[in-house]
Amino acid sequence: MIFVISFLVYFGLDLTPGDAVSHMISPELAATITAEKLEAMREAYGLNATFLERYWIWLTSCLKGDFGYSMAGGVAIKDIMVKTIPATLELSIVALIISTILGCSLGILSALKKGSATDSGLTVAGMAGVSIPEFFFALVAILIFGMHFQWLPVGGRLLPHYENFLDRIPNIVMPSLVLALALTAGAMRYSRSSMLDVLSREFIKTARSKGLPEWRINLLHGFRVALTPVVVLIGFRLPLLIGGSTIIEQVFQWPGIGNMFIRSVRASDYPLVMMISLMYVFVVLTASLLIDLLTALIDPRVRLGKE
Amino acid sequence: MKTNSLNKKFDKIRFLEENNKLVSKDQNRLLNKFLNNKLAVLGLILFTIIILATIFAPLLSPYDPLKVDLRSMRQPPSLDHWFGTDNTGRDVFSRVLYGGRVSIFVGLGSSLMAALIGLAIGCYGGYRGGWVDVIALRISEIFTSFPQIILVLLLVSITGQSLTNLFVIFILTGWGGMYRLSRARMLSLREEEYVQALESFGISTFKICYKHMLPNALGPVMVMITLSTAMFILTEAGLSFLGLGVPLNVPTWGNILNVATDIVVLQNYWWMWAPVGIVISVFVLAVNFIGDGLRDSTDPSQQG
Repeated sequence: MIFVISFLVYFGLDLTPGDAVSHMISPELAATITAEKLEAMREAYGLNATFLERYWIWLTSCLKGDFGYSMAGGVAIKDIMVKTIPATLELSIVALIISTILGCSLGILSALKKGSATDSGLTVAGMAGVSIPEFFFALVAILIFGMHFQWLPVGGRLLPHYENFLDRIPNIVMPSLVLALALTAGAMRYSRSSMLDVLSREFIKTARSKGLPEWRINLLHGFRVALTPVVVLIGFRLPLLIGGSTIIEQVFQWPGIGNMFIRSVRASDYPLVMMISLMYVFVVLTASLLIDLLTALIDPRVRLGKE
Repeated sequence: MKTNSLNKKFDKIRFLEENNKLVSKDQNRLLNKFLNNKLAVLGLILFTIIILATIFAPLLSPYDPLKVDLRSMRQPPSLDHWFGTDNTGRDVFSRVLYGGRVSIFVGLGSSLMAALIGLAIGCYGGYRGGWVDVIALRISEIFTSFPQIILVLLLVSITGQSLTNLFVIFILTGWGGMYRLSRARMLSLREEEYVQALESFGISTFKICYKHMLPNALGPVMVMITLSTAMFILTEAGLSFLGLGVPLNVPTWGNILNVATDIVVLQNYWWMWAPVGIVISVFVLAVNFIGDGLRDSTDPSQQG
């Protein structure tokens, strides 16, 4: 699958107007340069080979870990990724943890109190969470907490005197909370319906008839089974997380991969655009595989060899 | 007086009943269920208000959304300019209205088109299978393995920025989901007895597929259309906010928000960006409410 996509991406980028050489030379140079010289440059960069040959060269070098160079500044794409991915991971993991804990507990709370004011309030709040554009929420947060009260820094990740993660906490609070907003809403909705579904099953009745205390039934019996779809949901949320983080990173000037991606799209830095999107696809496909495996681990009904 | 009018009403109802006009049809039941959902009705009302406001924009606001007026730059909201004016003196209220036209058109139009394509391929593919289905399934797999916004950005970087491109890109990224949904519906409908009955009568495949089976697959697709409309509007706003969506000279909701990337505007001139953000949120919320209501009224398995 990833090979098919890499081929298509390469093909798509091949169709874009202008090649690497026409991006590299300045307009003044272009006015004076001769056709032969241009051709020689193309030859030197291997641009005159046939499409399939170029694709093959590119693919093999990618597999060796050489992702090529960014067109802006000629920095190795590998270096860019090494520099930016940790920042994105840091942000995403914090947001994922916040949203999963918050979303699951709120969802289960509203499932247990089905039909109450709490339940409908949370449902509406969840809808609002999905509907408000994340960047708008981010802007409002910056205005209120960053500028009006000046409690939190408005953006950035590393300042010169910062040494470890603890120093960065004030910087990560706003972006991660904003990023967690939409994810929380999704998780809440999903865990609510999953919990409702589980609570109506027979084995909950059995547990009740055994005289177990209500919290034990809910937590140990209900929640455990309800968790399975929630794990699946974490996987589904990954694309959402990536999408959200691209825009949020831009708003908060977080130096992550999403920020880099937007910058490279703006600058038409095709090699970089291509590599980053391929990486995203790789991550999503791997995650969905992992989730399949994880589901088998968690769900007691999918346990193998215990029939 | 009061009892008299009530009696009249009852007489009317009895009259209707005697003439067999009060028999509720299946359609009515769904509609009633939808109308009983308070949030869905609220959503429908908000949706209608915003749509009407954008359609009748020229009547509501006397200002040209593109006209630069350097004498009235950055004015706070007043009776003349309800949402104030922006950096070049353009009236923000009329920009919001006219911008809504483009944003809603892009969101709704592209999700309808995506649904049309997805349904057309999905119905046939799900019912008949064959090479069309195999190819479409593979292609849709490719599209769905990208995170949506990344695919959109990738395509924007390849094709360049314009309204038409964005429209096409949204359709390209949206049809896969519709296709899979309608295909899955058709796969289960295919086993129904009425389909076998139609087949045994020798009715043509196309007719069975699009005339008899398609209406039964519409419910979930309608829900998906509303949800993807909401998503496309959010994506458009996000992209234009980043300056990568619709070119800046066309007023759209995202483009109006774009001024907030300037920290001075963000801090000092809230009226340039906050109202638009609220309008987007309210509109998307309304669409989501409608989608939720539709889901509850069409899908019996999603209740509670």
